[in-house]
Amino acid sequence: MGRILVVDDEEEVRNAVKRRLERAGHTVTGAASVTDGMSALTDGGPSYQVVITDMSMEDGESGQKMLKAALARDVSTAVIILTAYATVKNAVECMQLGAYDYVEKNIPEVDVFELLMLKVERAMHQNKKRFSSIQHPGLHVSG
Amino acid sequence: MDSFLHTLRRLSSQALIEPQLNKFLMTALEAALGATGGIRAFLATIAPDTGELEFAERAGKGWTDQICKIRLQPHNQNQRGITGHVAITGYSYAAASLSADPYAVPIFPDAMSEAAVPVIDSERQVRGVLNVQSDREAAFNPDEIAKLESLASVIALALTLQEYRERENVMAQLGRELASTTEEDDLSQRVVDLIVQALRCEACSLFLMDEQRNQLTLKASRSSLCEQVGKLHYDPGEGLTGTVAKTGEIIRLDDPRSDVRWKGIYPEFAPDEGGAFLAAPILCRDRTLGVLRVSRPRSTPAWFHSRFTECDERTLQAIGAQLGAAIANARTFNRLLHSERMAAWGELSAKSAHMIGNRTFAIKGDINELKHLLSEHSASLSNLDENFESNLLSVTDSMERGIGRLEQILREFRDFVMATQLNLQEKNMNEIVTECIQETFPRHSNVLLEQSYDPLVPSIRCDPDRIKRALSEIVENSLSFQTEGGRLKALTTFLKSGESPAITGLSNTRPYIQIEIIDGGPGVKETNKDKIFTPFYSSRVKGMGLGLSIVKGIIDAHHGEIRELGEYGAGARFVICLPA
Repeated sequence: MGRILVVDDEEEVRNAVKRRLERAGHTVTGAASVTDGMSALTDGGPSYQVVITDMSMEDGESGQKMLKAALARDVSTAVIILTAYATVKNAVECMQLGAYDYVEKNIPEVDVFELLMLKVERAMHQNKKRFSSIQHPGLHVSG
Repeated sequence: MDSFLHTLRRLSSQALIEPQLNKFLMTALEAALGATGGIRAFLATIAPDTGELEFAERAGKGWTDQICKIRLQPHNQNQRGITGHVAITGYSYAAASLSADPYAVPIFPDAMSEAAVPVIDSERQVRGVLNVQSDREAAFNPDEIAKLESLASVIALALTLQEYRERENVMAQLGRELASTTEEDDLSQRVVDLIVQALRCEACSLFLMDEQRNQLTLKASRSSLCEQVGKLHYDPGEGLTGTVAKTGEIIRLDDPRSDVRWKGIYPEFAPDEGGAFLAAPILCRDRTLGVLRVSRPRSTPAWFHSRFTECDERTLQAIGAQLGAAIANARTFNRLLHSERMAAWGELSAKSAHMIGNRTFAIKGDINELKHLLSEHSASLSNLDENFESNLLSVTDSMERGIGRLEQILREFRDFVMATQLNLQEKNMNEIVTECIQETFPRHSNVLLEQSYDPLVPSIRCDPDRIKRALSEIVENSLSFQTEGGRLKALTTFLKSGESPAITGLSNTRPYIQIEIIDGGPGVKETNKDKIFTPFYSSRVKGMGLGLSIVKGIIDAHHGEIRELGEYGAGARFVICLPA
């Protein structure tokens, strides 16, 4: 199972996401700000496979800052942006900067937690495939 | 020094410095008696409305209350008297023997002879008559009449000066009012009241331009029209009032009905009672904001002209310019106040929406967890009571529905708040409309879709996402009214400057892109055509009823106009005009 970082300044949001991910067996670290999130990235452990961050916390750029920091630490980290309906445009900009995907928090009549889980599982699966395809030729040459 | 010269010198200086007109007139009458040896003197002035002569000031003996109340009627041949005769002719007259005089009307039994001279103002209009009587026959020689004429000139000067002083006071008061009032309606009424005083006119009306309707609307009036404030309209160029609005030029007429532009649409007086007319534009930086109009009834005596003077014209013009500046000022102030409040509301709304959205998201997480727990413990729950689990599940379903509804409201709320925050980019409007139809119109539908795009439609700076949001709202609206089948037509037209948009009131001096969405639904009732764009108005149950007000907000933010121009019963026709 994966190692996941959840960054959101709202405790209820952070805990709700964390609880759902943990139910699926992931190891989840929570961070209440971009600053906390950044120090979690460099806590000495292995890098996070997935970082889920809110789009706007202290300001509208929080999500972008978190995205850049996560990719700087490990380019293979899948960053998923949580966004409000009105800031979807910013999330699309984040995708152009290398975010894996975004999830709009308030889609009427959709269980966004299941949607988020789906995206997390897919990200981890794709990452695994990509990781092995990079590893495999290397092994082949040395062998 | 000759004693009359001395008197004249004293009187002239008093005319300048004496603040009370009556005191001055009394001195003047005493001087008239002194210069002629008369026993009685009076000044009769003309009432502008009736043309009657009334005793404004009296000197000498024999005045009873009854005599003081007498009104001389120059238009009545038998009641004219010497005073009336002088008022009509404008020439001095001396009656050597009252008993034998053809004009004399006996009022005082002791009067034997009488001299009367006209008081003529700067407009060469007779304002009154200075009259001296003697108890001797043939008491007045030409020399004495010349002296009376000199006194009459000084009286005319004093009367004119008094009028200027009054006008100056009113103008000063007007200035204070204009500087302190920011409510347009209050301002309009105060100005009208003050103009009536300043110009001594019986009627004054104030019209302001309604930019949206491109019409003048009556805002305040001191006349028979006062009950119809807000209800009377002139098109620019229509009648004399409309002409002032259109040309920005003042119109002054002694008899407006003889002018070809006169239409008599909303006159202050009945057609056979109307007299002099004066109308000036309310101007601000070359733009006509409205029209000030004053009029007088036609005076009963044909010889008396209650015309407006050049001085009246200049005064009304000055008031129009001052009022224009004050109205522009008041509008800017209100806009500023409004925009500050709106900015605060916008921020508050965006923050609230963000927080409510986050809480809702967290509650959704809780419901997700609850459902998980219920399915985990399904077996043990069934043991408690066979209906228990299904009861719990129906509660969670209801919670989910409630949250879903809340999220829909939130979405609409955010759209409303964000409608005016544009992310501008250059994009072709045909592309935007095509994309919107592709995204909104269902692949399989019993509604017939027709599209017609003018290839001349150019790219403009706009927020394509918001325009799409606006158009999709209209399309979805149309579809919701045509569930049993129908038609939907989307078309664009490029209107070069000079070509008139379908929306009336828009100036054709600039080019527009016109977008139309036409359907075969029930259409919109005439009385509801304006209301549908106001917030919380909806005949659909979904959402908060902000739909079309969001659309209007988006179009407004693009400096465009939207109207529903369809015929009720024959389908809706939404027309959007965006400046190109």
